[in-house]
Amino acid sequence: MTAYEFEAKLATLDRPAVVNVWASWCIPCRSEAPLLNAAFEAHGSEIEFIGVDVQDNQPDAKAFLAEFGLGFEHVFDRNRSIPNRFAGFGTPITFFFAPGGELVTTHNGIIDERGLALGIDELLHLDS
Amino acid sequence: MEFTLLWAVLTAAALGRLGTRIWPEGLPDRPPDRLLRAGAISLLVGRITAMIAQGTNPLLHPGDILVTRGGVHTAGATLAAVVAYLWSVGGELRYLDAITPAALLALAGWHGGCLWRGACLGTTSDLPWAFAEPGSVVNRHPVELYVALALPFAAWAVARLSFGPLLRSGLGLAAAGIVRLLTEPLRLSLTGGPTGWYIAAIAVGLTAALVGPRFLATRASPVT
Repeated sequence: MTAYEFEAKLATLDRPAVVNVWASWCIPCRSEAPLLNAAFEAHGSEIEFIGVDVQDNQPDAKAFLAEFGLGFEHVFDRNRSIPNRFAGFGTPITFFFAPGGELVTTHNGIIDERGLALGIDELLHLDS
Repeated sequence: MEFTLLWAVLTAAALGRLGTRIWPEGLPDRPPDRLLRAGAISLLVGRITAMIAQGTNPLLHPGDILVTRGGVHTAGATLAAVVAYLWSVGGELRYLDAITPAALLALAGWHGGCLWRGACLGTTSDLPWAFAEPGSVVNRHPVELYVALALPFAAWAVARLSFGPLLRSGLGLAAAGIVRLLTEPLRLSLTGGPTGWYIAAIAVGLTAALVGPRFLATRASPVT
């Protein structure tokens, strides 16, 4: 998926989105994966979760997804065009978007449970 | 290790050292070295325990052990710290009791280290001292600072107790568990938090404080 296609997809969303940039070769991504699953299970009905697999090969990526049972949508971005579009650097990255695709926060690097829970809570309080 | 975490660790170490200066009674030689060693082993074991709990085999993925931000298991780390410290003093329980106030102060430093990590905030709040993340308008409880302020009181109270096998350390463990348990509802979590472990720590701590001075003191006293 290209960055433009991804941006268009976000623009159609009527709820906030958490976008996690990952790769099967990324060691910290392994630590994040169970957290993202827990977040998806807890908030999947209120927030859109999307994984962006970057600079990866598809067999390894599929094995990673199967290992961690990541149940939300993932897109493949061989050239890192999506994180580059939103000025994220490194891998992993977690982007927090408002409904309609406006970028609220970017967390470069590994995110811990508190950081992810805080980012999600901020999205849920965007109207306040 | 990430530098923000390193600052939090250094804050804990500095306050632990301060604790050994404030309450030196009954300490073994080189208490800061023993505390630091126990702290390092605690981090390592806590990280490995967290990996196992998350379903990652540490033998197959040894590099993940260094990703401390991926999580450190509270119970595994606490147990490892106690065992490592006890091992360093030859299993003498009186040294465990002697170090407890300083250890509580070090724990306060770890929580206060949230200021370096930008990780102090919890649930939303309208209280006057609540504050918001940079770029946000949502004020929140500085929950980790609550813990950092409560634990020195626990350290002070424990240090006022007389020595008796496991009395200070048991009550210190229970106090730390109570502080964490009371503040847990103010903490943001995806998994519900380790509430069960806090309750277990309180139960173990209180039991040790009740049983230790009687049972162990009796065993230690000469037969007449």
